[in-house]
Amino acid sequence: MAEHWSHPLDTLPFDTVPPAGHYGVADMTGVAARRIEGLSIATLAPARGAEAAITETMRQALAMELPGASRAVFAGARTLIGTAPGRWLALSSLDRDIAGTLRAALGPLAAITDQSDAFIALDLAGPKVADTLAKGALIDLDPRVFLPGMAATTVLAHIGITLWRREEATWRLLVARSFEAALLRFLVSSAAEYGFELDARG
Amino acid sequence: MRIPCPYCGERDAHEFSYLGDATPARPDPAAPDAQDRFFDYVYLRDNPAGAHQEWWYHAYGCRQWVQVERNTLTHAVAGARLARDARDAAGDAAGNVPGDAS
Ligand SMILES: [Zn+2]
Repeated sequence: MAEHWSHPLDTLPFDTVPPAGHYGVADMTGVAARRIEGLSIATLAPARGAEAAITETMRQALAMELPGASRAVFAGARTLIGTAPGRWLALSSLDRDIAGTLRAALGPLAAITDQSDAFIALDLAGPKVADTLAKGALIDLDPRVFLPGMAATTVLAHIGITLWRREEATWRLLVARSFEAALLRFLVSSAAEYGFELDARG
Repeated sequence: MRIPCPYCGERDAHEFSYLGDATPARPDPAAPDAQDRFFDYVYLRDNPAGAHQEWWYHAYGCRQWVQVERNTLTHAVAGARLARDARDAAGDAAGNVPGDAS
């Protein structure tokens, strides 16, 4: 381990979103977090009895399979995540308005609500993501158990999140915007021993 | 203690909030003895040592009501199903499902 480093939370006001930069152990980055900008987000819930019709329409119009459990499916720049029976989150970095895209495809089959301003989306990469998340999670995030494509709406450091594993070494999560400072504070604190990079440029 | 949510999988009990006994059935408000039966329904509960059917709300997960069979002596959970499935199984659209009492 590198030589002495002062704890990053010592100088970080608790109600302020931490600025971009490197925290904790110098000269290594066990976790790199990036706030994903420009993501369009919506919730999708079928009208009563319309679940089969929606599944078929999503296949034909968007070439996406609605996950039947708490899983994430990816199609290009679009992601669908199951969050409850008959409830999904749709995310897109392609559509300026994913709610509008869904509404155009599904019409009265579903209730669609824009959530783009409700959440902060974080991309987490690096060899120590699972170890870091494990410090605040109540579910088993061992990379052999929580596999790519799995998703969970759960708690991290007492904060409600939706977490999914996009690739082998890439995890993503959504957290309510008002909890951004608290959640990043947890990440800064928990990943400091591995070296933590927030919003690295380039 | 962990509760096997039928949608989310096994989750820590801290993700849930507890309501209580899942067996009382809402009486018919038009019955002549409705007032007495509602008193029982609202206030009277058994306190069994052993198997207990109870409602848990998965507040930090899928936000569904779950009917859980828990042993009150050991906390062993014998099974869980979504309230909507329990209601469908009961074949009673006005069934005793919390949050659906309207
Ligand atoms: Zn659940």
